[in-house]
Amino acid sequence: MTEQAIKDKTAIAGIGWTAFTRNSGVTTLSLAAEASLKAIADAGLTPKEIDGVVSYFHKRPETQDVKDLVRGLGLDNCNFQFFSDGGGGWNCGAVLSAAMLVHAGICKNVLVFKALNRYSAGRGARAARANDVVGVDQFTTPFGQSHAAVSFGPYATAHMARYGTTTLDFAHLAVTERQHALLNTKAMMRPKGPITIEDHQNSRWIVYPFRLLDCCQESDGAVALVVTSTEHARDLKHAPVTIMSGVGGPARHTHYDDTNAARSAPLLYEGAGITPRDVSLAEIYDPFTFMCMTHIEDFGLVKKGEIGPWIREGHNRLDGDLPVNTHGGLLSEAHIHGLNHFIEAVQQLRPEGVIDDLCDGPHTYDRGVCRQVRNPEIALVCGECGDSAMLLRRG
Amino acid sequence: MAIAYARPLPVPDPDSQPFWDGCKEHELRAQRCSACGSFRWPPQAFCPECYSWDFAWERLPETGSVYTFTVVHYVTVPSFQDEAPYAVAHITMDGTDERVRIVSNVIGVPWEKVHVGMRVRVRFEDVTPEMTLPKFEPTEQG
Repeated sequence: MTEQAIKDKTAIAGIGWTAFTRNSGVTTLSLAAEASLKAIADAGLTPKEIDGVVSYFHKRPETQDVKDLVRGLGLDNCNFQFFSDGGGGWNCGAVLSAAMLVHAGICKNVLVFKALNRYSAGRGARAARANDVVGVDQFTTPFGQSHAAVSFGPYATAHMARYGTTTLDFAHLAVTERQHALLNTKAMMRPKGPITIEDHQNSRWIVYPFRLLDCCQESDGAVALVVTSTEHARDLKHAPVTIMSGVGGPARHTHYDDTNAARSAPLLYEGAGITPRDVSLAEIYDPFTFMCMTHIEDFGLVKKGEIGPWIREGHNRLDGDLPVNTHGGLLSEAHIHGLNHFIEAVQQLRPEGVIDDLCDGPHTYDRGVCRQVRNPEIALVCGECGDSAMLLRRG
Repeated sequence: MAIAYARPLPVPDPDSQPFWDGCKEHELRAQRCSACGSFRWPPQAFCPECYSWDFAWERLPETGSVYTFTVVHYVTVPSFQDEAPYAVAHITMDGTDERVRIVSNVIGVPWEKVHVGMRVRVRFEDVTPEMTLPKFEPTEQG
């Protein structure tokens, strides 16, 4: 395996986001358009310069689709559109698709977005089709597997039995991510204030081994970003954040001892010509505390089985060896299907750093107000089970 | 008068019909590849190992082990409310080279007692005249 041909050839040039809420009161088209127009403006481009659009969904397209956004924004020059069913595993797959379109010369400026009213509309829609049981679901749904925690809890239970990991280990991750969210003005859980280990341990069971504070929230909102060539990005408004390497394939989930990340990690690092030690920070898919933890292990950032103590020792904090989910993650920022992890990674890697913490002026690294990591060079971003992942570098 | 079964029911397809037919006869079945001998799960018409389309349905032993599990306390589908908390386990069936791992409920035991490695035996529940679901309960040894 050699470095990927795409290495450093493309970059993220613009980012945008809406408010993250539980009741947007607007259509997903409005959410998508708001985030997209902000991302396009942030890049220093105009909508007519967008010539490719990518998004993704899970099982049912209860999210803004691509074609209607292309119509809505009047993107008359769209050369390629792609709307994948890769679900939460596909945040990096979407960005990688955009990078491939640019590198292949099919498109020049590709918009990637995710817009959903998952809290206000998604819950009702899912309840309404609870008895719709076809395909592989016929072997799970009739037995009451009707919640993502039931799909992913088995990974946690298996790890607990094998390595002695406990729900107390999970608690430390939840507390740290909430702490990060308190320094993020757009984080949905910021108004709720900090949580303690005791709060976690006293919170009710949702699906054992996950308590309420192990589970991410559901959200209404949108984020968007623009991918272009690194060369073009250098002429735009912000310093580019370059795409080093990426992977975007799913796995068959036949065992629960590790995730697809264990398979894809070597391809990702070799594709970028780096090792896990070179990673400065990680924005890791975290629908449940333990899923974040297993992804950290499976991407080779912590030895298998040792994630519990590593989290307890706080290595994932802003000043730790490897800051993780510096925005608060899906747990405490918002669930925008993991594309919000890119907004954070790009902010952290830009020369000016994050713009929506509590610092007034330059970054102070005072953890009462500042969530900027000190001089990060390389960020890992991943989706559910490492089905897709990407390495980004300060441009 | 019997109360209608309100929970989601499997919708059999050409690949899965023989499995559900077996359940109705209180018999657990899985496909075994006629070319390479591998068991597979869930049912499909071709072998994921060697891609042969030749297979036979074989009767499985009634026992297996809990490989991993969750326990549902917070119910999103109302028809399961009276069941909660209930265990959803991945059960490795004996005699299948660990290739047949069925998702089902472990019943007849408090949820706190369910554990990885627990020995279980199938217990068929005839939930409608047409459909039987394979559930599992601890063997004597647990």
